[in-house]
This record gives sequence, C-alpha cells and structure tokens, in this order.
Amino acid sequence: MGKFWKEFAKGIIISNPLFVLALGFCPALAVSTSVDNAIGMSVGVLFVLLGSNLIVSAIRKAVPNIMRIPVFIVIIATFVTVVNLVFHAYVPSLYESLGIYLPLIVVNCIILGRAEAFASKNPVVSSIADALGVSIGFFLALLIISFLRESLGTGSVSLFGVNLFTLPVLGENPMTLFILPPGAFLIMALLLALFRRMGVMKSE
Amino acid sequence: MKVKTLKEVFPIIFITVVVFASVGLVTWTDSITTDKIEEQKEQQIMSMLKEMFPSMSEYTFEDDIYTIYSDGTGVGYAFLAVGKGYGGDIDILVGLEDETTIKGITIISQSETPGLGSRIAESSFASKFARLNIGDVALKEDGGQIDAITGATISSGAVVDAVRTTAMEKVKSLKERK
Repeated sequence: MGKFWKEFAKGIIISNPLFVLALGFCPALAVSTSVDNAIGMSVGVLFVLLGSNLIVSAIRKAVPNIMRIPVFIVIIATFVTVVNLVFHAYVPSLYESLGIYLPLIVVNCIILGRAEAFASKNPVVSSIADALGVSIGFFLALLIISFLRESLGTGSVSLFGVNLFTLPVLGENPMTLFILPPGAFLIMALLLALFRRMGVMKSE
Repeated sequence: MKVKTLKEVFPIIFITVVVFASVGLVTWTDSITTDKIEEQKEQQIMSMLKEMFPSMSEYTFEDDIYTIYSDGTGVGYAFLAVGKGYGGDIDILVGLEDETTIKGITIISQSETPGLGSRIAESSFASKFARLNIGDVALKEDGGQIDAITGATISSGAVVDAVRTTAMEKVKSLKERK
C-alpha cells in the first residue's frame, strides 16, 4: 500500500499538474472565474482521468504500439462524452456555466499526458492512485486560483448559490479585471512566483 | 493481393473493437440521460414562461409559438430563438406582450466564453429588452436601444439579432393566422 500513497501524494504537490508540470492551462484559466466552476471542472477531470487511466492501464499489454495514441484518444473521448451527458442531465446549471470547456476536457493534456506517461506503463492500482492524486492536485490548484479571482473580481465568494462572504470595499467596487482573462494570467504568475520563492515546488 | 498476416491487421481489429465498445458506452449513457434532459428542458421552459408571464394560467403551443392565457384571455406570446454566438448556438426564450412589443427574454442555454460572453445570461442584460419595440432591438452602434456587454460584442449582437429577426418572423405568422 506504500506505493499507492506515494503515487497518490506526488500528484498533489511535487508534480502538481498546474503549478509544477504546467499542464492543462487553457481549461484551468478559462473556468477559474468562480469557485463553483472550479469544483465542477475538477469533478469532470477526476471522472475522466480515473476512467481513462483505469482502462488504459488494464489494456496496456494488448494495445499495439502504433495504435497507442488513437486508442487513448477514443477512450478519453468516450469518458468525456459520458461526463458531458451526465452533467447535462443532473447538474444543468454547472453544465451551463462550464459551457464549451466541459467537452474540451478531451484535449486537456493532463489526461492524455497521464495515459501516455503513466497508465500505459504501470499496473491498474498505481494508475488509479496516480489519477486520484493528479485530480486532487488539479482541484487544489484550481480552487486557489478561482477563490482569488472570484473574491477580487466580484468582491464576494459564493458556493452553489450560497453567499460565503462579501469583502468590505471590493463588494461595491470589484476589480473586474480578475474575472477577465488577463486576471487569470496575473493570478497564475503571482502564485507561481510565490511558490518558487517559498521553495515548495522545485521542478527538478 | 498478398494476404496480410494477423500481426499486421491486429492494430486495425483492435481499434475497431475499442471504437465499438466506446459507441456502446456512449449510447447506453445517452439512453438513460435523454429523458432526463428533455424533461429538464420542458420544466425549464415552463418555469421561464411562468416567470415572464406571472399571471399565466394555461398556454397553447402551435407552429412553434406559445400563446399565453390568463383565465381564458390571451396575455402574450412566447417562442424560441437561436442566436449564432461565439461559442455555438444560444437558445433564447422571447416573450411578446403584443404584436409590436417585447415582454422580455430569457437565455435558455449558451456556450459563450465563461466570464465574458456568458454574461448575456445575466438578468442585467436580459432586462434591457423589456418593453422595447421589436424594431428597436439592435445594438446601439447599429442604431438600436441595447448596450453591448463590454468585451462581448459578438455574443451580445448574436442575441439581439436573433431576437429581432425571429420576433419579426413570428409576428408575421401570427398575423397570417388571424
């Protein structure tokens, strides 16, 4: 079981997909406008990554090498379509706000990256641990970014319709810039700089 | 023609099997979610109509137009319009007070850029349409009455154009009906 936790833990900090590996920026920056979206996106990524890592790892010995990538893409696309339909049927509000970025999980390089670099070379149990760890790492990163963007950009943070808090001055005059794309880059850059400075995450 | 060995055709067989398995899973998910999705759309339209016409007691649906009645007297019409947005189709429910005036609009579904174009779905944008003459439904830069959302001119324009053109069409067919 020691190996399971090792694979699980590495995805969260030492090889955090966003802050260390710098993978999956496009969807992460695009949907990190609110905490709700960050949670919804992370659930989607968790399900797809878990499914694709599981299947890819289970069939890794049978997959012909030249058909590797097409097979992975078909598997990932299947899970993305399933997530898309399930979200549409059971959480329509989230489906609305994630919009095009939900189906676009299919081209998220975290998913294909883990399938190619990890699941296709490791047994099923380690691949599940890897999927869980990477998804949680992705979720935490997205949560930090979206929390900062939502609180600065709208002056308040709400969770599924419940207002958590409203900032005193920003509540009336929010810095809308942080909700817009440049805000995503600013927050991302500041966080990366901060983490490097603290020495929490060294890529090599 | 040279007969291929099994080893050579195996990759093709493999991907075929994978694709069939994938189609199977997607079809199965689709079959269990379709009803739920339809039901949700129906309910959504119901509650939107009710919100737009608080006095609604019943409605009829004919030629893609909802006619809204309050205790037997007609109080307005509603219909669906589809705008071509930046990220795909924008489904809009449009309410008419009478044959010239907009009652209000509601965005049913959209896939515009979150945080920018997706703001067309906020009530502050939709409320700009209330009580406008159909002919005035155009962006200010095109001589109309509606301010585009900052940073989302394409999305705003798509909604405005869809509402105006569809409203004109529907009013025409309403007049023909009489």
